Amino acid sequence: MDAIRDLKKYTCDVLVVGGGMAGCFAAIKARQKGADVILIDKGYVGKSGQSPYAGSFMVFNPQWGHDLGAWMEQINRISEYVNNREWTQLTLIQSYERYLDLVSWGVRFHANDKGEPVRFPAPSGVTEQLRFEENKHGDYVQILRRQAIKVGVRIMDRIMLTELLKSKGRIVGGMAISVDEPILYVFQAAATILCVGACGIKPAAYPPIVQLTGDGEAMAYRSGAEILGKEFVDVHISRRDIPAGIPNMLGRKQTIPPGLEGLQGPRRGGHLFNAEGNPLPPRPEGASRYMFTYLETEFEVHAGRGPITTDAPDGLKEMTSGACLGMSLRKADGLWPADLEGRSTLPGLFAAGDALGTMQNGSAYALTGSAIASSAVTGTLAGEAAAWEATQMVERDIPLAEIERAQLYVLEPIKRKGGFSPQWVTQLLQNTLMPYFVSYIKRADRLEAILSLVMYFQEQLVPKIFARDLHELRLAHETKNMVLSAEMRLRSALYRTESRGNHFREDYPHRNDPEWLAWVKIRLTDGRMELCKVGIPAAWYPDLNKPYSERYPYRFPGE
Amino acid sequence: MAVESINSQRCNGCGICVQSCPADVLRMDGERKKVVIRYPDECVVCCWCIAECPTDAIVLTPTRYNRIFTSWG
Repeated sequence: MDAIRDLKKYTCDVLVVGGGMAGCFAAIKARQKGADVILIDKGYVGKSGQSPYAGSFMVFNPQWGHDLGAWMEQINRISEYVNNREWTQLTLIQSYERYLDLVSWGVRFHANDKGEPVRFPAPSGVTEQLRFEENKHGDYVQILRRQAIKVGVRIMDRIMLTELLKSKGRIVGGMAISVDEPILYVFQAAATILCVGACGIKPAAYPPIVQLTGDGEAMAYRSGAEILGKEFVDVHISRRDIPAGIPNMLGRKQTIPPGLEGLQGPRRGGHLFNAEGNPLPPRPEGASRYMFTYLETEFEVHAGRGPITTDAPDGLKEMTSGACLGMSLRKADGLWPADLEGRSTLPGLFAAGDALGTMQNGSAYALTGSAIASSAVTGTLAGEAAAWEATQMVERDIPLAEIERAQLYVLEPIKRKGGFSPQWVTQLLQNTLMPYFVSYIKRADRLEAILSLVMYFQEQLVPKIFARDLHELRLAHETKNMVLSAEMRLRSALYRTESRGNHFREDYPHRNDPEWLAWVKIRLTDGRMELCKVGIPAAWYPDLNKPYSERYPYRFPGE
Repeated sequence: MAVESINSQRCNGCGICVQSCPADVLRMDGERKKVVIRYPDECVVCCWCIAECPTDAIVLTPTRYNRIFTSWG
C-alpha cells in the first residue's frame, strides 16, 4: 500500500479541471484575460475524455446563408421543447468565433481545393457541420494543449480532483490525488471550473467514456451545487464485434491491425434489420435519429426479434444498444447553470462542456457536432468569467479544518485494511443497470426495485470500498461517484412521469405538456437527495393549439 | 485481457502509450526504462496505445473479457 506522506499546496486564480475541448478553452481564455491558471486532468491533457473522438464541429454562420430562426426551430422541435433556448442560441451564435480560434491555433478542418472549409449537411434538417481533418483528427486536442502551454497555462497531468474545498460558503479550490506519487494536492483558487465531462459507468461498448465517471457532478453535489438532466439517457448504439470502433473515430485507420478497425453505429444511409430479415421502419421525418434508432432496436429485441443487424460495409453485423450506459444525452446532465457564463449555484464554482447542464439539445440530440462546439463556447464563457471573478476575490484562504475534513474523505479508501474492491462494486453497478428494461425502457416498479439495490450499494458497500494502491484509490473514488450518479439517474427517471425524447416510461408513454414542460433539478438537502421540478419559460412552450401529433412526430411504443 | 504483451526489444521507453492510456493500464518501469502492463483488467481496447506507439511494440487483441472479481478484488 502507498502511504501518502506529503501534501503539496498550489495557488492560482483559476483552477480548471479536465483537459478536453471545454477545459482547454477555459484555461486558454482565462489565461488570456490575465488570470494565473492551473489545468489538471486525471489522464493527460489533450488525450483524455471524449474530445479526441469528435468528428464534426457544428458552426453556425449567417454569412454562409444560415438562418437562426430555421436552426432554432429544428432544434426546439427535435429536442421536444425542453431545450434551454438561451444556451442553444448562444452556442449557435458563438460557434463561428470558436471555430476561428481553433483555426488560428492550427486545428485543421476538411477543406476544398481553395482552402475553404467543406460544410456537411447534418443527417436531418437544415443544420450543417464542419469536420476535423480526416487523418488523425484525434490530435486536434493536443494542438489545444500546446496552445495552452504557449499562453502560460500550468498543466498537471495524471492528477484527479477528488473533493472541492469550501470557505465561508464559497468554493476555494479542491483536493486531488496523483496516480503516480503518494502526494495529496491542495489547489487554492479564486475560481474553479469543472470540465470533467459526462458520467458513464465504464460500459464495455464505448471506450471513450472510461474516464468519465461523474466526478465533477458528484463533488459539486456533495458541496451543495444543483444538478439536472439525469433522466435523459444517451442512446448511442454500437457494433457488437467491434465496440465503438475507436480507431476510426481517432482517424487512425492506417495504423490499426485487422480485426480492430470497426465503426460505430450504422452509417448514414445504413439500414437496420431484425432477426427475421425485415428492415426496421424508416425514421419519421422530424424525429431524432438517435432516439428513434435506440427505441426501435430495443423494442424489436423485446419482441423476441433480436439480434438487430446493420448492413455495414463489411457485411451484416450485430448491433447492441446502450453503448454509453450510464451517460445522459450530451449536454443534458451536469451542474445547474446559474447564469449564461458557466457559473453553478455555488459561489466560486463554474462548469463547462458536458459537466454543465446547458440542456441545449433538450431531451433528444438535435444538432450533430453541437456537443463539441458547445464545449468550446461554454469553456470560453466560463474561463473569461472565472478570470474576471478572480480579480474581485481577495481572500482565498482555506481553513485548516476544511483541509483536514477533505483529507479524511479522500484517503479513507486507502487507509482501510480490507473491504470491497472498487472493481467489484463497479461490476455490480454495471450488471444492475445494464438490462435494457432498466435503463432504457423504464417503468416505476422496475426503477424502484433497482433503486433499492443501488441504495444498498450506496449505504453498505460504498463506505467500505478499499484501495491497495494509488491506482485503486482513483478507482475507489470513481466507483463512489458512479454509484451516486446512478442514484440521481434512477430518481430522476422515477420523478419524470411522462415520456419525452430520450426518456421513455412504459407506464407513461405520452408527452405530458401540461405537467412536464419542465426540468428536474437535484440537490442535497439534510443529507438526502431532493428533487424538484422547474418549469421552462412559457414563451418556450410549443403551440399547444396544434394537435399532439404535429407537436410530436414520433410515436412512442404504447402511445 | 486486451493488451496482451509489450515487446521489450522494440519498446524504446518513450512513454507515449502511458500518457495515452485513459484507464491507467500501462506504467513505466523506471529502472528498465520500458513500459509494462500493470493493470490489464482496466483495458477497454480503445487502441490509443497501439495507434501512438512509434515502434509497434504493443500487442493488442480484439478480445476483451471481464475478470470475475471476488468482493475483495
